[in-house]
Amino acid sequence: VTAIDGRSTEDAPCPNCGQLVGVWDGYCEACGTELAPPVVSSGTPGHMAQCPVCTADPDSPAGGVSPDGYCEVCGRKVPADRDHVEVDLGLLAGISDRGLRHSRNEDAMALATSRTPDGQVAIAVVCDGVSTSPRPDSASLAAAQAAVRELLTAARLGDDMEEASQAAVRLASAALRGLAGPDGAPACTYASAVVSQGCITVCWVGDSRAYWLAAGDEAGHGPVEPDAPTRPVTEGRAATASASPTPSALLTRDDSLAAELVATGLLSEEDAMASPQAHVITQWLGADSPDLNPHVARFEPTGPGVLLVCSDGLWNYRSEPPDLAGMAVPKALTSPLDAAAVLVKFANDAGGRDNITAVLVPVPLGTHDV
Amino acid sequence: MTQPAFTVDVDHNQYLPEGGRDVSAIATVTSDGTPAVTAAEPGVGSAEIIIVDCSGSMDVPHTKISQARAATAAAVDVVRDGVWFAVIAGTSFAKPVYPPAGGMAVASPQTRADAKRAVNGLRAGGGTAIGKWLQLAYQTFGSTPATLRHAILLTDGRNQHETPEELAAAISACEGNFTCDCRGVGTDWEVGELRKVSTALLGTVDIVPDPAGLAADFEAMMRTAMSKQVADVALRVWTPQQADIRFVKQVAPTVEDLSGRRTPGSPQVGDYPTGAWGPGESRDYHVGIRVAPGFVGQEMLAARISLVVSSPGGPQVLGQGLVRAIWTDDEALSTKINPRVAHYTGQAELASAIQEGLEARKQGDEGTATARLGRAVVLAKESGNEDTARLLAKVVDVVDEATGTVRLKKKVADEDEMALDTRSTKTVRVRKEHA
Repeated sequence: VTAIDGRSTEDAPCPNCGQLVGVWDGYCEACGTELAPPVVSSGTPGHMAQCPVCTADPDSPAGGVSPDGYCEVCGRKVPADRDHVEVDLGLLAGISDRGLRHSRNEDAMALATSRTPDGQVAIAVVCDGVSTSPRPDSASLAAAQAAVRELLTAARLGDDMEEASQAAVRLASAALRGLAGPDGAPACTYASAVVSQGCITVCWVGDSRAYWLAAGDEAGHGPVEPDAPTRPVTEGRAATASASPTPSALLTRDDSLAAELVATGLLSEEDAMASPQAHVITQWLGADSPDLNPHVARFEPTGPGVLLVCSDGLWNYRSEPPDLAGMAVPKALTSPLDAAAVLVKFANDAGGRDNITAVLVPVPLGTHDV
Repeated sequence: MTQPAFTVDVDHNQYLPEGGRDVSAIATVTSDGTPAVTAAEPGVGSAEIIIVDCSGSMDVPHTKISQARAATAAAVDVVRDGVWFAVIAGTSFAKPVYPPAGGMAVASPQTRADAKRAVNGLRAGGGTAIGKWLQLAYQTFGSTPATLRHAILLTDGRNQHETPEELAAAISACEGNFTCDCRGVGTDWEVGELRKVSTALLGTVDIVPDPAGLAADFEAMMRTAMSKQVADVALRVWTPQQADIRFVKQVAPTVEDLSGRRTPGSPQVGDYPTGAWGPGESRDYHVGIRVAPGFVGQEMLAARISLVVSSPGGPQVLGQGLVRAIWTDDEALSTKINPRVAHYTGQAELASAIQEGLEARKQGDEGTATARLGRAVVLAKESGNEDTARLLAKVVDVVDEATGTVRLKKKVADEDEMALDTRSTKTVRVRKEHA
């Protein structure tokens, strides 16, 4: 019997030593192997074996790719594994893509699942390296890696997810402080989401976002008016669930100049986004960041839908929750990886000016056919 | 003998604007510090030939020939045991001095003493035909299996007894066969003529105005030659198929344009000669590439620069560096000028400004001479090339160093003008960390 997240619902042999392991075990009791390790979008340091441009050109002579990833004929950098990473853990799936205008993918994502006595848990972390900092690709990866590990451990122990989210983002921040060097302080944004039975806990720093995309909104009859995209969510305790399905909504509020101007009523959402400072973030993870003040919010949706965690490479092109729902739902309810591909393709078709990362978690967990 | 390793450190602004095509990079090549393998076996290793001008003018004044004898003896003294060596006398033809019957001897206390005795018998008398001297050196080197072949050529006069074509033919026959440092004693020789020899044969050219300075200079040259460990090193440049190499120049310690000296390996690979290298030696190269334009966000390898030596098993790559190009719409990135690229661009212009200015002065074109030498004063100051600034001040009166306002001196000593000319290609280095 295979469960939705790819693991047996009964005691099964450890893939490493063959000893039987329990359904809820995080590690094999015999050999210590981690049974459902988190998956991070690091890719391997590898790259494609052939230049996609030269192989497409019938007039171009055949040429290999050097060990450092350049086409031996045209010199172009061939795509690296991290340029396009797809992760499908069943309960959730995500894609991180270089986009069209950046030379590397400075976004990172980390996904994990856990089976606990209280039910299943899905964990997603998305980090976007700050391009003006040194080694932003290392920054986002280190932060995502540190945070997912902490969240997964907390989920296995059944800890409080708001506290765990705070601890995870602080660990990510500590990981970045360790990366600082003579060239400066690597920095990134941060957005995490933990989905357990009936409850979503999000945590963020910077302008990476989490959205609730309600099933049914794609038809355009959701109750959310299109001009109110950044509906604030109460930090801390969320509103109690009501009987009617929760409409699509942005669950995070950017730490950005634009968001602050809108919040203080100085600028309209539209004017703020058009201003050159729209993307100046006011908080980030990194050794050069002022006091860390992460936001944590809890959300209990009623009715089915999909949680989206994404970088600004996606929402720059479409930020309204119903619009995003229109693209991702209903496909995401049954096939989150395919829906993530739709969103990434949309952003690339719209210009692909930034790295694009989208992670989708169908809710309730594990009800879709995997 | 183990091959030394080379490191190639590339410094450039890798960012290009949309549609940008020109990539300009400084590659610092350093051979590792492995100490010299001592006492190379006869039959391998090094060979040295000293070519001494014995034309009639070497007797005027007589100190020239006597100091040349002393200098040759001093150079012979530092030839390491086991190294092949010979001394050639040059007039309108060339003849072996030591070994007297031609060919080369293996250095030992005995052979060095014999050679110095033979050198002591050198007499001045006859003409000057540098091409013939080079031809005999070429044949003499051919009598040994040595691969590190180096010559020192001393003259005091113009190449009067053969045509420029004969000299050019001799030079081109010797190219790649041995390296040659050239010295002019006194002021009656032609800088341009000797520079042709030293450039083609990957050596230096300099003036020794006072014959008394010859011995120290010869000894220093021979010590440098003795420190070389690896011969025939080539700078190999790989470029993408749709790219052109605009230039390849050595820019430190001296400016030498290597662009025209490419030996193609394949359409995308060419080798440029760099001669012989000693342990710990470091040189800078300026490489200009024009690539096919890319779209914003694309990364391309504009060039791969490596060091190649020939070995019995075929060419061996001893270190490489990458010249990347990344297209960006961030103007702050794409318009940034790399300080070392700017520095060496200025140094190369300094050398040509001096050479053009001196040539104009010789032709009596005072306007051009004043303008070019004035420009040289500005460039020497900007790049902190104090040695060159000092030499310039002997040729022009500097009115304003910042704007390059100068007046040509009415009386300039020949030796000062020639020293400025020969040393115009000497550059000062800027290190990456100070950039």
